[in-house]
Amino acid sequence: MATMKFLCDTKRCIECNGCVTACKNENDSALEWGIQRRRVVTLHDGQPGEASISVACMHCSDAPCMAVCPADCFYRTEDGVVLHNKDKCIGCGYCLYACPFGAPQFPKKGAFAARGKMDKCTFCSGGPEENFSEAERQKYGSNRIAEGKLPMCAELCATKALLAGDAEVVSGIYRERVAYRGADNAAWK
Amino acid sequence: MNKWFKQLGLAAALLFSTVSFAAETPAPAAQPEAVVAAVQAQQSEYSQLWTELKNGATGYTTSQSQFHNQPINSYDLRVLELRSGWLAPGLMLALFGMIIIFALFIMVNGISKLHHGFSGKMVHRWSKLDISIHWLGAIPCLTLILTGLTLLAGRFFLQPVVSEGFWAGVVYFAKQVHNVMAIPFMFGWLLMTLMWAKNQMPKMYDLKWFLVVGGYINFGPFKGKHPDSGFANAGEKMWFWTFALFGLVISASGMLLLFPNLFEPSRTLSLISLILHAVSAIIICAFSIVHIFMATVMSEGGMECMVSGYCDENWATQHHNLWFDEIKANGTLKYRES
Repeated sequence: MATMKFLCDTKRCIECNGCVTACKNENDSALEWGIQRRRVVTLHDGQPGEASISVACMHCSDAPCMAVCPADCFYRTEDGVVLHNKDKCIGCGYCLYACPFGAPQFPKKGAFAARGKMDKCTFCSGGPEENFSEAERQKYGSNRIAEGKLPMCAELCATKALLAGDAEVVSGIYRERVAYRGADNAAWK
Repeated sequence: MNKWFKQLGLAAALLFSTVSFAAETPAPAAQPEAVVAAVQAQQSEYSQLWTELKNGATGYTTSQSQFHNQPINSYDLRVLELRSGWLAPGLMLALFGMIIIFALFIMVNGISKLHHGFSGKMVHRWSKLDISIHWLGAIPCLTLILTGLTLLAGRFFLQPVVSEGFWAGVVYFAKQVHNVMAIPFMFGWLLMTLMWAKNQMPKMYDLKWFLVVGGYINFGPFKGKHPDSGFANAGEKMWFWTFALFGLVISASGMLLLFPNLFEPSRTLSLISLILHAVSAIIICAFSIVHIFMATVMSEGGMECMVSGYCDENWATQHHNLWFDEIKANGTLKYRES
């Protein structure tokens, strides 16, 4: 099976936040107010060496969130996507502490701003509920993988900075880019 | 290096997949030197950027979410292995292991009986306030141990044997109870630590108490020994100071985890809190089991102290002779009026 990965090409990302908007729109039914599954971070903003990178869940092959979760609510699909079961999530926030990429997000609920059920990028592949069911749409958002499509963020990336797909295919495209980028006979320098 | 680092490294390599791959790609024949130069230029830029990100560089983002201005938060991923591989089984051993060990010990050794039976004369030992703060800490402590065990190790020993829905209910209930019970526990811990410390100062005769294991061993050279002890014996003092210290650690780390909005700890500090919390829990749990066994089963007549606040006179002379002599001498000895 494929091992799904995101890859963001910092040479191409123009900080348009199209991926953020695409994600928000595609998974709107599941996203509570204030939850943002993907974000673009710009280093050295306005200075030489400026670089932007789009970050969400990286679907780690040995995910820290999975290791630290007291409820053991995470699981990995056969495509290597890390998903979680919101019915098991207890809102402790440990996955947010453990995740190197700051992917898990929590809606604020209840007394003392206690955390609600965690939400994070699903690689547009829904959750443990039945594919295309109303429950899946409400809790996890869209399921494009089951439709045979790739995540909306990468599909809508105007500069194709954000790539999503099987790790080998994605890194193959990237390798080629690096080799040809800046070459005299290339279209873009 | 452990596997966690490799995995993060792998994710990183994919995220900023650099030129180790590129070098393998055949360069276009027309411009080999130009391509090599371009690749090298990118390589140095990428490695510089990657180094910055690995070191936790932050940048500008439109997202208002917590920690979102930092693409990568690096920390020692061994804390995850430490938690699931060592601390989770450690807490199970501290609870179930200690119960088994102590039960076996009592089966072999027998309990500590009062040599002269019960006198029926009850000596005042604890005030009503003392008893209240003891149970203020003790009842939450027991629920915290059980719910904490569920949160730390439940996924390894409970989840595989119950249905998914039941597990989800149990772990959510455990979290809620753990959060609520933390508050009375902290008050109990604070009051006990402050109010009882003066009776728990180590004395020279405490060393002798340890040498004969408190006189609780019923065979060999230890049999029938009754070491001196004041209001508290050496074992109780050790428990008291362990509880005072690790109660502080567990309360402080627990506050960071319970009120992240108030203290705004970094993610790494929260993970360190998780580790410290579990280590303290293991130590307090193991001592609690011993404490409960000593009070309820091992020491005949001991439980009465934390029920009525009075102890039998024979229990006082056998287990706390120096204290009994002292209150007798200075006139603070008070019997229960019947």
